[in-house]
Formats: sequence, structure tokens, C-alpha cells
Amino acid sequence: MERGIDPDLQSLMTRLADGDRSAFHPAFAVLWPILRRFTSRHLTPPEAEDAAQEALVKIFRQAARFDPTRSATAWVLGVAGFEIRTVRRKRQRRREAPEMERAVLTRPDPAPSPEDAVVLRDLEDALREALGGLSPEDVETLRLYAHGQRPPTSPGTFRKRVQRALARARVKWRITDERP
Amino acid sequence: MNALESRLEARSRRAYEVGRLTHAVLRVSPLVPLMALALLGCSPSHEVLACAGTLLLVVTLLFWRGQEWSVGVAPGIAAGLVPMLFPIIIQVGGHLCLPGSCLLLPAGCAAGGLLGGSLLGIAAPRPRAGRMTPFIVACSVAGLMGAVGCLLYGLVGLAVMAAGMATGTAGLVVVRRV
Repeated sequence: MERGIDPDLQSLMTRLADGDRSAFHPAFAVLWPILRRFTSRHLTPPEAEDAAQEALVKIFRQAARFDPTRSATAWVLGVAGFEIRTVRRKRQRRREAPEMERAVLTRPDPAPSPEDAVVLRDLEDALREALGGLSPEDVETLRLYAHGQRPPTSPGTFRKRVQRALARARVKWRITDERP
Repeated sequence: MNALESRLEARSRRAYEVGRLTHAVLRVSPLVPLMALALLGCSPSHEVLACAGTLLLVVTLLFWRGQEWSVGVAPGIAAGLVPMLFPIIIQVGGHLCLPGSCLLLPAGCAAGGLLGGSLLGIAAPRPRAGRMTPFIVACSVAGLMGAVGCLLYGLVGLAVMAAGMATGTAGLVVVRRV
């Protein structure tokens, strides 16, 4: 038995399990100092107070299920130990949370910036205008070429058509976009 | 005791009572399918449900209260199972439900009551001067359980069941007290 624990705790918990309400106040008076002492050995003062309160409430909530054949001391300290571990885990998560927030904030945004979106739109408009200035035969040749398709002509003839269509498209593009 | 400790004690007391009530509900829950079984009989559903609901509520409160109030519950349930199940088995077994025209069901209630009463006489806490509560609780719970099964014949069925139970209990209680 832990030094300083009231030997009446076993009988008090047994009476509480049976429904004897007159055992409540004496049990409270015995348990509260025990739990505060126990939690203060493992936690800082404010955390120890919170853990002791949570353990106390939990013990009374489960008192109806207390098995008189078990040690009341061991059971009570077990509940307090669980609360101590819970507080320590929360403390650990609070320490890890700022690091995670930093990682999220510094991650590069895959979406284009507003300026890049405007430039892309302008380029698409210029390309559309340039292609619009080509002949229908050139447009059809470039379309087939872009899709990997072939008209019913010889490969050499199609290659020549593609080269000429591309040359005319580059000229149109330079005129439209005023790029060298 | 300072204000913080007073508040903490009040909070702990509430947790204790809520915990007792939760535990009581869990202990009563196995009775729910038994009560559902009673609906297989021919008794009107609303009467069975009212009687079963009363039984469940009473047993829950007895478990919650604890001490001498809960000691008689288990023997009462065991004894009350017999008069509750007898009529149901007879009805479900194919016997026609014709109130007033067949003596099998009242006889079943009487026999069930007699057997249940005998069980009560053996298993219920001995009545003692100044300590009658557990015995009274056991008899009440057994009577309520038997009533769930014997409702078909209304007051006649209940009276027959109660008479059988009292007969079975009385003799054995006298013997145990001697």
C-alpha cells in the first residue's frame, strides 16, 4: 500500500459501489488530497490540478462499478495515472502543432499566381488570332499534325505541308504578338 | 473546505449519481428482449408495453438506489420469469387465444405463479424484523414480471398468478424462518 493512503479507502469505495451515499463525503475527503499529491509528482502545478480533478470526477462516475475484490488504491491510482498520461500527450501535441503549421505555411502553392494567369490568357488569345489568319488547308494540316494523324498523301508531301504551315504560322504569330 | 472544493464535490456527486444511473440501465438492458418476447403472446400490445415499461423503470430505480433496495431484484426476476413465460409458451405453442372459453391459460398462470412463488420462497432474502425491504422488493418484482405474461386474462389472470405465487412463497418462507 502506498504510504499515506487511508486504509479506509477500500471500505469507502465498497460502500459507494453498494449505493451508500453516506460514504460519499468521507470518500471525497480521502481521495482529493491523494490525487493532488500523486499528480503533482508528475506534472506542473496547473496541469496537476486539472488532472486530479478529472481523475476524481471519473472515479466517482465509475464508483458504482467498483469491484470490492480489487484494491481500491490501485484502481484509484490507475485512473490518476491515465489522466497524467493524457495531459502529457496533449502537451506533446501542442509542441508539435506549431511545427506542423510552419510546414503548411511554407509549402509552395501549385496554382498559378494571378499575374501568371493573365499572361497565359493573353498568349492563348494571341495564338487563336494567329491561327485564325491561316488558310483552311494550313489549319487542317496543323490540326492533323497535332493529333498525330495523316491525310491520304505520301509522307514526304505531308511533311512539306506541315513545314510550310508552321512557317506561315510563325510569321502570323510574330505579327500578332510582336515577338522576335 | 474552500469554494473550489465545494464546487468540485458537487460536480463529483453529480458524476456519481449519473454513473449509478447509467450502470443501472446497463444492468436492466438484458430484460428488454424478454419483455419483447411477451409481445408474442395474445395480450394487447399496449397493456404489455405499459406493464413491461413499468417493470423496467422500477427495476432501474431499484438498482440506482442500491443497498437493500437492489438486493431483492435478482431473486424477484428469477422467480417472475416462470409465471411470465408459462402463458407465453402456451400461447405461442399454438393454443388459441380465446379469453374466457378455455381454462388452460388461467391454469398456466396459476401453475407459473406457484412455481415462481416456490422459487421466491427459496431464493428471496429472508424477511426479518426491521429488514423487510429486500423481501418486499423481490415479491414486487416477481409479481410485475408475472403480470407481463398473465395480462391476457386481465384481473382474473393476475389474481390467479398472485394467488399461486403467494401459496408457493408462504410455506417456504415460514420454513426458512423457523
